[in-house]
Amino acid sequence: MDRATTSASSEGEYRFKVVLLGEGAVGKSSLMLRYVENKFSPTHSSTIQASFLSKRIDLGDRHVDLDIWDTAGQEKYHALGPIYYRGSNGALLIYDITDQRSFERVKVWVRELQRALGDTAVLLVVGNKLDLDKERTVPRAEAEQYAKSVNAEYLETSAKENIGIADLFERISALMVDHVEKQRSAQVHTTTFTTSRRGIQLVDEPQQRGSRCCK
Amino acid sequence: MHSVADPELDDDRRLRVQISERDLLCINGCGFYGTPQWGNRCSKCWRAHQIAEKRDRDYARNKTLLTFEKFEEKRKLSTESRSLTFRNIMKKSPSILSGGSGDNSRDDRDRRSSTATQLRTRQLSPDSSEARVKYTDWLIGNLPTSVVQEITRMTKYAENRINEFDVVPEELSDQVQTFYQHLNDRLSHNKFFVNQDPAFVQDVMEQVERYLSVTTYNRLFCPSPEEEAGDLSLQARIRSLNWVTSGFLEMKLDFTKAEVLESLDDAITECISINSPRRMDEKLDCLLKCCHCIFDALKKSGAPTSADEFLPVLIFILIKANPPLLQSNVKYISRYALPHRVMSGESGYFFTNLSCALQFVQNMNHESLKMDKREFEAYTSGQIQPPPSAANCGCNQAISTMEQTAKRFENLLTEQQKFLEEAEEFARQIEIDEARVMEDYEEVFQTYPKADLVDAMHSAEIEEQKTADMLKECGITQ
Repeated sequence: MDRATTSASSEGEYRFKVVLLGEGAVGKSSLMLRYVENKFSPTHSSTIQASFLSKRIDLGDRHVDLDIWDTAGQEKYHALGPIYYRGSNGALLIYDITDQRSFERVKVWVRELQRALGDTAVLLVVGNKLDLDKERTVPRAEAEQYAKSVNAEYLETSAKENIGIADLFERISALMVDHVEKQRSAQVHTTTFTTSRRGIQLVDEPQQRGSRCCK
Repeated sequence: MHSVADPELDDDRRLRVQISERDLLCINGCGFYGTPQWGNRCSKCWRAHQIAEKRDRDYARNKTLLTFEKFEEKRKLSTESRSLTFRNIMKKSPSILSGGSGDNSRDDRDRRSSTATQLRTRQLSPDSSEARVKYTDWLIGNLPTSVVQEITRMTKYAENRINEFDVVPEELSDQVQTFYQHLNDRLSHNKFFVNQDPAFVQDVMEQVERYLSVTTYNRLFCPSPEEEAGDLSLQARIRSLNWVTSGFLEMKLDFTKAEVLESLDDAITECISINSPRRMDEKLDCLLKCCHCIFDALKKSGAPTSADEFLPVLIFILIKANPPLLQSNVKYISRYALPHRVMSGESGYFFTNLSCALQFVQNMNHESLKMDKREFEAYTSGQIQPPPSAANCGCNQAISTMEQTAKRFENLLTEQQKFLEEAEEFARQIEIDEARVMEDYEEVFQTYPKADLVDAMHSAEIEEQKTADMLKECGITQ
């Protein structure tokens, strides 16, 4: 059922989908707004919406069209997660460094993502609200160690002070490009892009005709 | 319950034996007297019995009606695929591609039809023929003839097969998607497209999808009666969940602002109109407009426009609008739209949100709303009404007008109260003043008596004196 997302159409051109996962009020939307508009406002009243954004990133000779999907982080919508992150190439797992609970939620998501997407997606754990470093409850070392243990990268940001935001999106784009290219070179040996045998039926190939239509 | 006692048998028995008090009582044992005409029931039990019987009858009738409809549907589907026999097509639908009409072209058509399947078309609806004209025009206007021929051949083949196939929707979906993939690959490797912008292939693909979604709509959209029944039950469920809209979704909308309500109304309208067009892009456009209206409403309420705020409102709109054939529309798009439409871009994002909202509504229970199970069920079955809240009252103009009037009345009342108090105070003041004036008067009166009074008093004294004198004289004389 899962269709392969078109992550690359031609040489050096990529299109990626990145989901933002994180509990409500950890600053997912602020992060996104800060990146795309370089704005921080507690009410975000300037743009039409801050839940879906598209941005083109140049990484040397590679160009990435990034679709950034914000998700509803409230606990009661947790079960909807799989619909959101289906087919995504990367996930930003955001937590609030002053809120231990939001960090625990990130761990839940990581487990789910790894089960659902396997190694097709790149994970990046983000500790936001670095501006509130004094009130930090999640030690940096702990988060770094955790990220390492689940094979993810770790970064810290502040949407309010604009620290590390641009780096964050460039980093995940680069990671996704690497990931896709690595996978592709691995696939060259075993070219397994199977066009399912039944599928040919809608395609006008003489030898396939009449295979099923009399049914 | 009880089987109806035979009245005749009952009569017989009455002739032969003494009737006891018990035989006269209602067979339900409710303590009232029964009558043979009512199957030995009292009037109340007879009524209840009749209602129960009617319900059973109606149920049985509905069931047969439904099964009949299903049967009809199945028959229609199977005949539709069968009616594609060669003779039928020749009789009914002159293909617009064949151009000429009349007997002399018949042989020609015969020959062509037997060699090329693309002429096997049914009667085209106005929509379909318009789509075909537009599609062909676009292809001819943008592509070299050889490419046009190839694409037309492939789409026509696919179109006919889609109409013919009698497979489950999931399989058909797979096949349509593979067809897109195949066509896409083929075009990308075509000489003509190699030198073009890759986006151009996508344009062509969109045209193909647009064309197919119009001409094979009846086959692809809501293909089985089961799916239609699913839509109806979903609609009934959403109706029973209408109470959720009154404040159970934690939205940051400002229902007191008229422009917020306006945006929400627009969103509801767009949400309902998703069902109207045939084309995927038009359906998704309606969804896009609906979502933008929601963001407008959020913005006008001064709330953040993030996904945390957006999804609850979308769910709210979904429940309020209760759009027709929602599930079928979602399935139709997810099965047969081009992958990039539903997986990426803004349309993909909003479509995903719609799917999420739909799933949330379908699975909604007491846990997802964090409330007591019994309370949830009571609301859903309509046993208790949810408390009125801003979310509901704000949407209801009559209530908001009433609220305003009530507020005005309240103001009037407080003013009246104040006025009354002032009047009382005034009256009290008057009393005090009056008393004081009287006192003063008395005092003045005492200090400065009038001349008349003095005279009168004086004469009265003289009078008294005289009387006393007279009495003295009398006393002496007596």
